[in-house]
Amino acid sequence: MNILTMMWQNLRRGYQTLLFPARPAVTRRFRGLVQFDPALCTGCAVCRFRCTSRAIEFKAGKGEFTWSYNPGQCTFCGRCVEGCAEHALKEGRAKHALSQQEDTPPVYLAQGELRKSYTVARRPPMPKPSAPSPAKTAGADACATAGLEAGATPATGGAQ
Amino acid sequence: MNLLTALARFLIFPGLLFAVPAAWFFLWVERKAVALMQQRVGPPFMQPFFDFVKLLGKTTPPRTGISGFLMRAWPLLAVSSAAGAVGLLPVLPSSGGFEGDLILLLALLELPSICMIAAGFSSRSLFGEIGSAREAALGVSYNIVFLLAIVSIAASQHSFRLEALASMHPSFLTVLGIVAILVCLPAKLHINPFSLPNAEQEIYAGPMTEYAGPELAMWELAHGLEWVAGTGLVATLVAPQVSAAWLAAFIFVVLACVTVLLLSGLAAATARLAIDSSVRFYWQATLIFAILAISSVILVRFRP
Repeated sequence: MNILTMMWQNLRRGYQTLLFPARPAVTRRFRGLVQFDPALCTGCAVCRFRCTSRAIEFKAGKGEFTWSYNPGQCTFCGRCVEGCAEHALKEGRAKHALSQQEDTPPVYLAQGELRKSYTVARRPPMPKPSAPSPAKTAGADACATAGLEAGATPATGGAQ
Repeated sequence: MNLLTALARFLIFPGLLFAVPAAWFFLWVERKAVALMQQRVGPPFMQPFFDFVKLLGKTTPPRTGISGFLMRAWPLLAVSSAAGAVGLLPVLPSSGGFEGDLILLLALLELPSICMIAAGFSSRSLFGEIGSAREAALGVSYNIVFLLAIVSIAASQHSFRLEALASMHPSFLTVLGIVAILVCLPAKLHINPFSLPNAEQEIYAGPMTEYAGPELAMWELAHGLEWVAGTGLVATLVAPQVSAAWLAAFIFVVLACVTVLLLSGLAAATARLAIDSSVRFYWQATLIFAILAISSVILVRFRP
């Protein structure tokens, strides 16, 4: 008799259908277009390897790399965002090709039209902070200092 | 019943002039009620009429290897037989009738189903053939119960005249017979849980798969008229006898609407049964009651 109770409650509540142009809000855990932050990316290309739908492409060049993303191919699985150690990728909330929050959803006529590419200057990896130990030699101290100095260089150059 | 009365009943009330708008209205009531029970908006009031007009304006695409005459004939035969069945219903008091009109009504009620089976096979569509086979299997299951129920009511009144049945006093046996008719109506009207013949999302539209345009419009109309005839039969059996014609017509419409709502509730509350479950339901669960009803009637009739 559960179904009869449910039907009676439905009748009392009235319809839940949204009439045009009202649109449903996206859910809290909605995964939208992948957002890329060039300033944080180190060019490790883990996202490219984790992307099973081949929406992410990565081309390594001399002193720079090109990261591109094709939303038309993306399945919004979120594995790239999960795997990004530098948090350079995040899931978009409102800007989604299929999201109904936008007034006019993007219309594309050719394959790859929504593709976005970033060319980022490669920077050397940040040095690991050396743990202070009493048994440090003078040579090791010199290396650590050199590393710190090298690490400061891309901070000024930054990602383009 | 003279020719003039017969024509008036077939063409005006409760025939075509009344039955066609009533068919659209009942289709709307059913769709709207099911929608509201599923928290949907449902169609606007005029939607069945708009659907009909829209389909009339469309052209049928050419279908190779299919007899066009047969494809056009089946829906027309279904519409005319369903309209004739509605015209036979004794809605108004002392509206005439003839001995044996109940048998004609049963035949006319069954004709749309037979047309649908034939249409499915005529269309040479795989889905149409599956739908027709299902309709045929379901038909031999529910019709036994349906006919036994009506015959038991008729036998209890010693008459095969519809007017005698409409004016009968309610008894336990007649109530049992009406319940049996109500149990058979979902299968006759192809609604859940017996919507196998036209199971959408499964075999497209069953026997109607190859139909389009005005022919499909006629099928829709025949389906609506079946609703009016099926629910109208229950309404005439249940309705109390009143002398005023307008009151009798009003009571008929209200009772038919209540029956439509009852069937809509059943359709919304249940899911589609598989063909073996449907056939088993009619042969095992309800046939026993129908046989009990008719055997009790025979016993009552021949008691000393």
